[in-house]
Amino acid sequence: MVSRASDSSSKSRQSNDGLGNLTYKLNQLKKQVQAERVVSVKDKIEKNRKKIENDISQLLSTTSRKSVIFAMDNGFGNMPLCKYSGFPQGLGDRDYVNSHEVVLSTSSKLSHVQKIPPYTTWIFLDKNQRMAEDQSVVGRRRIYYDQHGSEALVCSDSEEDIIEPEEEKHEFSDGEDRILWTVFEEHGLGEEVINAVSQFIGIATSEVQDRYSTLKEKYDGKNLKEFEDAGHERGIALEKSLSAALDSFDNLFCRRCLLFDCRLHGCSQTLINPSEKQPYWSEYEDDRKPCSNHCYLQAFSLSLSLSAAVQDTVEGSAGNISSIITNTEGTLLHCNAEVPGAHSDIMAGERCNSKRVLPVTSEAVDSSEVAIGNENTDTSMQSLGKRKALELNDSVKVFDEIEESLNKKQKKLLPLDVLTASSDGIPRPDTKSGHHVGAINDNELQMTSKNTIKKSVSAKVVSHNNIEHNIMDGAKDVNKEPEMKQSFSKGELPEGVLCSSEWKPIEKELYLKGVEIFGRNSCLIARNLLSGLKTCMEVSTYMRDSSSSMPHKSVAPSSFLEETVKVDTDYAEQEMPARPRLLRRRGRARKLKYSWKSAGHPSIWKRIADGKNQSCKQYTPCGCQSMCGKQCPCLHNGTCCEKYCGCSKSCKNRFRGCHCAKSQCRSRQCPCFAAGRECDPDVCRNCWVSCGDGSLGEPPKRGDGQCGNMRLLLRQQQRILLAKSDVAGWGAFLKNSVSKNDYLGEYTGELISHREADKRGKIYDRANSSFLFDLNDQYVLDAYRKGDKLKFANHSSNPNCFAKVMLVAGDHRVGIFAKEHIEASEELFYDYRYGPDQAPAWARKPEGSKREDSSVSQGRAKKHQSH
Amino acid sequence: MARTAIGCEPLVGSLTPSKKREYRVTNKLQEGKRPLYAVVFNFIDSRYFNVFATVGGNRVTVYQCLEGGVIAALQSYVDEDKEESFYTVSWACNVDGIPFLVAGGINGIIRVIDVSNEKLHKSFVGHGDSINEIRTQPLKPSLVVSASKDESVRLWNVQTGICILIFAGAGGHRNEVLSVDFHPSDIYRIASCGMDNTVKIWSMKEFWTYVEKSFTWTDLPSKFPTKYVQFPVFIASVHSNYVDCNRWLGDFILSKSVDNEIVLWEPKMKEQSPGEGTADILQKYPVPECDIWFIKFSCDFHYNAAAIGNREGKIFVWELQSSPPVLIARLICFSLHVKYNPQSVY
Repeated sequence: MVSRASDSSSKSRQSNDGLGNLTYKLNQLKKQVQAERVVSVKDKIEKNRKKIENDISQLLSTTSRKSVIFAMDNGFGNMPLCKYSGFPQGLGDRDYVNSHEVVLSTSSKLSHVQKIPPYTTWIFLDKNQRMAEDQSVVGRRRIYYDQHGSEALVCSDSEEDIIEPEEEKHEFSDGEDRILWTVFEEHGLGEEVINAVSQFIGIATSEVQDRYSTLKEKYDGKNLKEFEDAGHERGIALEKSLSAALDSFDNLFCRRCLLFDCRLHGCSQTLINPSEKQPYWSEYEDDRKPCSNHCYLQAFSLSLSLSAAVQDTVEGSAGNISSIITNTEGTLLHCNAEVPGAHSDIMAGERCNSKRVLPVTSEAVDSSEVAIGNENTDTSMQSLGKRKALELNDSVKVFDEIEESLNKKQKKLLPLDVLTASSDGIPRPDTKSGHHVGAINDNELQMTSKNTIKKSVSAKVVSHNNIEHNIMDGAKDVNKEPEMKQSFSKGELPEGVLCSSEWKPIEKELYLKGVEIFGRNSCLIARNLLSGLKTCMEVSTYMRDSSSSMPHKSVAPSSFLEETVKVDTDYAEQEMPARPRLLRRRGRARKLKYSWKSAGHPSIWKRIADGKNQSCKQYTPCGCQSMCGKQCPCLHNGTCCEKYCGCSKSCKNRFRGCHCAKSQCRSRQCPCFAAGRECDPDVCRNCWVSCGDGSLGEPPKRGDGQCGNMRLLLRQQQRILLAKSDVAGWGAFLKNSVSKNDYLGEYTGELISHREADKRGKIYDRANSSFLFDLNDQYVLDAYRKGDKLKFANHSSNPNCFAKVMLVAGDHRVGIFAKEHIEASEELFYDYRYGPDQAPAWARKPEGSKREDSSVSQGRAKKHQSH
Repeated sequence: MARTAIGCEPLVGSLTPSKKREYRVTNKLQEGKRPLYAVVFNFIDSRYFNVFATVGGNRVTVYQCLEGGVIAALQSYVDEDKEESFYTVSWACNVDGIPFLVAGGINGIIRVIDVSNEKLHKSFVGHGDSINEIRTQPLKPSLVVSASKDESVRLWNVQTGICILIFAGAGGHRNEVLSVDFHPSDIYRIASCGMDNTVKIWSMKEFWTYVEKSFTWTDLPSKFPTKYVQFPVFIASVHSNYVDCNRWLGDFILSKSVDNEIVLWEPKMKEQSPGEGTADILQKYPVPECDIWFIKFSCDFHYNAAAIGNREGKIFVWELQSSPPVLIARLICFSLHVKYNPQSVY
């Protein structure tokens, strides 16, 4: 304490002396910076002047060349412009000039052209868009001018605007940086110094300090950074990890609209993984054909044909091999069904036996593999060869250790010694890369697992090398070629470690994704995810390797495990949503005949039952696993869970769609229709869409006709024409006649918040044209600058259309429907449903013709009214 | 506006006239009782450098300056719609060099007048509201841009009557566009400003094929695939009020708001992120009593000088390219009508 006190006192004394000095220094620096600024501006202007001179000479040449051509063509005298039609006015030698009224003998008329009604330039939208951040008018000052007096009326019409202080961070100029840096470097970071500097520049001390540290970082790290940058530039995308590579995908791809850069749901949406995974897509094993020359299936067939050729070099065991191979294949194909069970058995046994040096492959991996492993030959092969494969891989990797452990193994494993030896000797120089060794060994293993014939080993090694390189001629040639490559690969793999080191991180991660998507199907993984990077053969080898020896790479399985754990816990926490039985009955009592099972959610029932026009609730998918409990945000918001939620299909809060068979879902009989929703082919049972002209095959016919409640989704809209309205400004017209309740089109626009809408409403009211439309509790549609032609449909108290907010695939959208039969080229009107005093004069209903608004209000949408 | 940081100060010109050049009123003309909103010399054809046009009310008039300060009225055009009030006019020509006058105003209809034949060439209907400024591309004088109250800037081909591009949309202006200008040498580049207090720089480089296509289009102009340019390459918030005039000065931009000054600034764009960047204010040219909007300034052919009027009818002529700026002259004008000072090359 004492020392600190004395320290500071001495420092303050020091700085007292130095303070005057400091101010002087600061001013000095400032002057210097400013002087340099003047010079730099002068420099810039001078440079610019030269550029302009250049531009001008170019301009002069373009303008004058033209005149030359013209003069040659027509003669200068014919210059068309220089015909006097008036009189020369005035003479220049007087100091004061009287005003002359210009009198022209003739003046040409500019014939009348029909003016168009005013509008603001707008962009066509076929789909609603969320407002971009920078488009907000909230908190922005708006200046209006009187139309007549051009007197400014500054309109910052609310308290909030003033409250929002512009706490913008000070942007340091180069000059300020320089002052800061020089002063701190010379005078240290004393409090007085900081204070003086912050006062001098006129910003908070904390900011000064922050800036100093960033500057320090910048200067100190400069060299380092340069070095790094250079390094970064050289890096290839493949060096990135998958998550980094997928970053843009995760952030920019909209999983609801299935497109990038979705303007409706925005970027960086929270990723919701469904708790229910779709079954892997797989082909029937019997039909499976080799996917390429490098297919692992190909390896078998090739080895079959090759085995004959190799026979001479092999010591008579070739015959055995081929039979073995066929045997294996046969069993492989046949025992598919049994595989999962058998496999797990093997694994269990193996675990018991595990005296091995194997890094304990987590149980999760194995068991999940069982779960994942569907009827893939891969899996079965693997399961068959598993025991050996495990050991072999390890033997290759941790050679010495394994050798010991191998010796302890059952007699059956004895050939492994030979194998490992051979893998050390023959295969390695022979193969292009380490993977192949793995592939060979594995294949061999699977065979040896059935018949432990030592001699077959080397023969097979040779034969597989042949396969790898697709060279049918003698094995010797093959041996030579790869030998050259070996030297290269050896440099990269100093310890002779196999496969795994050859797989770049991104490839490994891609592989794991592939397992998630396709299961253990190397053909599909190689084709879809690793095309151009790895062959099917390599993938299948890697698959075997990784499943046995690399637990840390089993991201997919372990995440699967995590999920199941989560599911379990969710189940534990889960309280079944209290389903109000009473309500349910009430719902049923209302002559709606569909069963509870097919209908949506209690709250919707309530809405239907009460007949209230509650504003719709914005849906945000929940990330609940399995069942939604009380914490479920959907339940909390009073929305149903939809197909985009994480929860399972059996979630009680899910909207279940409809079962309508004959009604085409066009009446309130259909629970979807009654709930103000469109049917969803993913959810509803009998609602489907046929594709194209039917040549691609139609889905099995389940209903009587096509569902008539997917018209927004399918954009089954009418052609709308834009023309001068018979009432006011622009109007929307119909091209073809429609009948009652036909869907005409969607009212699209920018999705803005209610707060934003109130602000914009005030601005629009001044211009006397508003395109705001209430959508739900969170959003208002604004079609002012973005929208479609339906935004021009005018208001009428006796309209021929109506607007209705529909929930389409989780999004609220405004559909415009025909209220009655409408003839072709008729103008479209709908009731904006203005409040009593909000309608513009022309839109007010004549007295006496007042209609009960509430009678038709159900489900009818209204234009936004700013408050 | 934020306080200027040290090292970013602009150079401000002194209001003491240098008397470098003398200006003398040679003539005073009056066209009826309606105010003249624009006067423009022909800068695109050297044969007609001494010809200028004025617009006011529903009338467009063409004059020629003769020797000895004599001004001859050449032609006059009157719109049949008495309600029309032309705000702006610009010279243009077709590819054969036939001079056109392009005028627009409150009706939002652009009138293209073939001055050599003294008849209306075409009328462009399309803008949703009044037209505040029209400018001609000096290197390709068949191209004109128009700035409108409908929040858009449009590029037209006067020869074929095609609206080639519309600069509006997601990144467009959020209120009336008051002024627009072509870059003197970069043919793709335009700058626009308006009542949303911003100056936006647009590039039509990616859309240039459409510009070329417009010259060879033989079908109906309405069938031309007009494109929207939705995103400017640069947005500058140099002013805190309406920006009512902007002009390129080489690669820099001169712009003015209602703050009694013209500002010269350099747009510093960020290469990676279009639309962003900073404006470095280099110089300021004070103009006292110029705090109302829709007062424009005008430069001469060589960009040596700019002239601007003010509320009191004074005209300030600034030497643009000296640093710091030099006021060439302060002129007292008795007519408030003329907002442009005619800049003669003589």
